[in-house]
Amino acid sequence: MSRPDLQNPVPLDPALDAPTAGAATRLRFAAVRSRLRLPSAYRRPMAVIGFTIIALWFIVAIFVPWIAPFDPLAQQFDRLQPPGPVNWFGTDSLGRDVLSRTLYGARISLPLALILVVASAIIGSVLGAIAGYFGRAVDEVIMRVADLVFAFPTIILAMIVTAALGPSLTNAVIALLFVSWPSYARVMRSMVLGARSREYVVAGRLLGFSPFRSLQRDILPNVAAPVLVLATLDFGNAILLLSGLSFLGLGATPPTPEWGAMVADGVQNFSDWWLAAFPGLAIFTVVVAFNLVGDALRDSLDPRTAGAVQGVKI
Amino acid sequence: MKLPTRPARVTALVAIGLASVLAVSACTDNSVSTSSTGAADKTLVIDKSFDLKTSDPARAFELTGSIVDKAIYETVLDFNGSDVTKVVPGIATFEENADNTVLTLTMDGTHTFSDGTPVTADDIVFSLQRVQGIAGNPSFLLDGVTVAKVDDKTITLTSATSNPALPFILPNPSLGIVNSKVLKANGGTTGADDAAEAFLNTTSAGSGPYQLESYDVTTKVAFALNPNYAGTKPAYSRVVLENVEGPTQKINVQAGSAQVALDLNADQVQGVDSSVKVLKNASPYLIYSWYNQDPAVGAGVTNNADFVKAVRQGIDYSKLLSIAGEGSTQPGGMVPSMFLGAITSDPANVFDIDKAKASLAASGYSGQPVTFSYPNDITVNGLQMQTLAEAIQSQLKDVGVTLTLAPSPISTFLDAFRAGKLQSGIMYWGPDYPDPADYLVFNPGESLGLRAGWAAGSDATVTSAADAASAASGDDARKTAYEAWQNAANATGPFIPVIQPGQYAVTTSEITTLDLNPVWTVDIADIK
Repeated sequence: MSRPDLQNPVPLDPALDAPTAGAATRLRFAAVRSRLRLPSAYRRPMAVIGFTIIALWFIVAIFVPWIAPFDPLAQQFDRLQPPGPVNWFGTDSLGRDVLSRTLYGARISLPLALILVVASAIIGSVLGAIAGYFGRAVDEVIMRVADLVFAFPTIILAMIVTAALGPSLTNAVIALLFVSWPSYARVMRSMVLGARSREYVVAGRLLGFSPFRSLQRDILPNVAAPVLVLATLDFGNAILLLSGLSFLGLGATPPTPEWGAMVADGVQNFSDWWLAAFPGLAIFTVVVAFNLVGDALRDSLDPRTAGAVQGVKI
Repeated sequence: MKLPTRPARVTALVAIGLASVLAVSACTDNSVSTSSTGAADKTLVIDKSFDLKTSDPARAFELTGSIVDKAIYETVLDFNGSDVTKVVPGIATFEENADNTVLTLTMDGTHTFSDGTPVTADDIVFSLQRVQGIAGNPSFLLDGVTVAKVDDKTITLTSATSNPALPFILPNPSLGIVNSKVLKANGGTTGADDAAEAFLNTTSAGSGPYQLESYDVTTKVAFALNPNYAGTKPAYSRVVLENVEGPTQKINVQAGSAQVALDLNADQVQGVDSSVKVLKNASPYLIYSWYNQDPAVGAGVTNNADFVKAVRQGIDYSKLLSIAGEGSTQPGGMVPSMFLGAITSDPANVFDIDKAKASLAASGYSGQPVTFSYPNDITVNGLQMQTLAEAIQSQLKDVGVTLTLAPSPISTFLDAFRAGKLQSGIMYWGPDYPDPADYLVFNPGESLGLRAGWAAGSDATVTSAADAASAASGDDARKTAYEAWQNAANATGPFIPVIQPGQYAVTTSEITTLDLNPVWTVDIADIK
C-alpha cells in the first residue's frame, strides 16, 4: 500500500512558503542584530558624541607625532602670534606652536588620568571589599582612614602632598591617588556589605572557599558595575585635578606641554586669549565626553536611572 | 542600589564653568575708549599695586612705602631725577675724609617741617638713630655707622671701616628726617620701644613737599601740599596713590581715571592705546644665572670653568631681551646698568654658538643632565622666571647642554639656594641701595658667592679685584675698580648676568615729566 500523498507530495504553495521563509530570515537577522545591538543608553546622541570625542582624543594621543604640525618644544616662531594660517592656534610667550602643544598635551593628560583612575579604583575597591567583607576592626580602621582623607578638600590635600614630594607629574598622580581612593572604597564596601550575606556567597563559603576566593569569585563580579561607572565618571575629574595641579605649578615641569600648565601660562598673558582658550577647550571636551559616556554607562547598568533619564515613570 | 550621580554633575558644572570663562576671555575686547581729564583740578591719580605696610620711614622698606615716604620726608642727601650715579645735596651737603670713614653733613638751614618749625641737627640725629634703634627692615642701611651732632649745623656719620657707599645710601626714603619734637610727644624714641608708628600712619611729621591727607594700606594714600615746604612747589596740589592691579591700571590710564600707571608689564604695555605715553627704562633688578662651584654639588659639570664658559657663550641674550620686551637690557656685569661702575658689555658674555660648542667640548661634558632651579611663583617687573628658564633651556640644548628644569615656590627655593645645594639656576637681585658696593656679596666666600659654592680663597684674581673695588675712594677710582672687578668675575666666576627687565610707567598725555628712579620708583613731587 502506498501512500500517494507521500509518493506525490503536494508541492508547497510558493505564495504560502515565501513569507514563512522571509520571516525566518528576518528572525535570524533580528537575533543577530539583537546580539550586536548596543543598549539604548549607548545609542542616545549625547553618548555617541561622548564616545566619538574620546575616540578622537585617543587617536590624537597615539598618532600625535604624525598629526601635530610642529615640534611642541621648538621656540621657532614669533612670540604671542594670534591664530593664523601657519599657527592655527597661535603661538605662546616663547614662540611655540599652541596647536602642537595642545595635541601633544593629550599624550600627557589621557594616560596619566587613566593610570590614576585605574589605580585608585583598584586600591579603593580592594580596601573597600576587605572592609566590607571582614567588618569589625578592619572595617573601622580602613573606613576611618577614608573619612580622614574625605575630611580635607581634595585639591588642598593633593597640593600638600605634591608640595612635600616636589613638583612632577609622577608626584601629582601619587598625590591624587592618595586623595581619590576613598570614594571607591566607600562604594565597594557598601556593595560588599549587601552581597556577603547572599545565598550563593554563603554557599561558596560552606563549600570551603577562602575569604579571598569568595570575594574574587562570588562577590566581585556582582559588585563591579557601580565601580566601573564611578571610574568612568571620575575620569573627567582626574583630568581636571591633574590640570589643576599643573596650573598651580605642582604638576608638569616645563617645558612639558600639559594642558593645565598651558592654561596657567595663558592666565599670565590674559589679553592673548588663545594661550588659555585652546588647552582649556581640550580639557573641556575630554571632561564633558567622559561624563556623557559615564552617564550612558550608568543608565545601561541601572534600569531605574535609565527610565528616569528617558522620562519613564518608575 | 544608588548609583553615584553627584561627581558627574560636579565635574560637568566645573567644565561648563571653565568653558564660560574661556568664552568670556576670548571675547574680551582690548580696546578701551579713551578720555582725558585735565590737570585743572590739580589732582594727580597714580595707580600702583600696593605692597604697603607702614608709612613710618624707619620701618618701611617696601616699594610703595618708598613712594609715600619720598613725598612726605626729605633726606639729608638726594638724587636728581633718575640719575643715581651722582649724589646731590638734600637737607645738607656732605664731605668725606680720605679713607671714607667719616662723612660730615653740613645743613643749609632753609628746610622746615609741615608744622612750620625748622629742621635742626637734632632732628637728623634723632631720625637716623631711630632707624638704627628700631632695628626694622631698613636699619641695615646704617650698620656700623655712628651718628653724632657736632654743632647746630654739622653732623658726622662715622663708620668703623671704609664706607664709600654711604653717600649713596643716605638718599633712601627710609632715612627720611622726621620732626623729633612731634615724634617724641607721640611715643617716638631711638630704641626698640619706639611707639610712634601708629601716629606716623595718620599724621606726617616731615619736611617733604607733601603731607598725609589720608592713609589706608589696602586702598589708597592721599597727599596734600605741605605749605611750609622749602623747595619748588609741586605741580599738583593733591595726589592720590591708589591700590590697583596691573590689568585694571591699564584700563584706568587709558580711560583717564588715573594719570599714571606704574605696574604694567612689557606685554601689557605693547597693547596700550596710542593716546597714552609709555616711559621705558631698564629696571634695577638684575636676573642672573649661577653654576655651583662646589664639587659635591656641581658634580664635575657646573664646577668646570669651560662648562660655565660654554653657557656664557651659549645663551642668546638678544633673544631673551626680545622675550622680556622693550626697555630691558643686558647688563655687562653684576652691577645694574644705571649704577656707578656698571659696564655696558663684556666679551665673555656674548652669544656665539660655535665658541660655546668648542668650550663645551673642552670641558669634557658628556650630556649628563644639569638641574636648573628657579622660583616659579616669581615675576620680576612682569617677567616670569619660568619663561626665562624655558628659553635658556632651549638655547643651551642647541649647544649640547641638557638642562632639567626644577621649578619650586620661592620659599622652598630659597632654603636650598641659601644652603648652596642647587647645582645651577636663575634668580634675581634687587638693590638695597644704588651703589656697586651692594654687589660685592657676589664674591668668593661672601653670602651670594657661597650660594653658588664659591668658597673663600677659590679665586684669588676676583678676590683681589673685589678688595681693590671695596677700598677705592672717589667716584672715578671706584668706577674703574668696579669695572675691573666685574671683568675679572665674568672671566672666571660662576655668575652670569643675564638680563635687567624693563620698567614701565604709562601716563596720560597731559603728564610731561616723570622720572623712574631705582630707589623710590617715582618722586610724586617731580611729576608735571
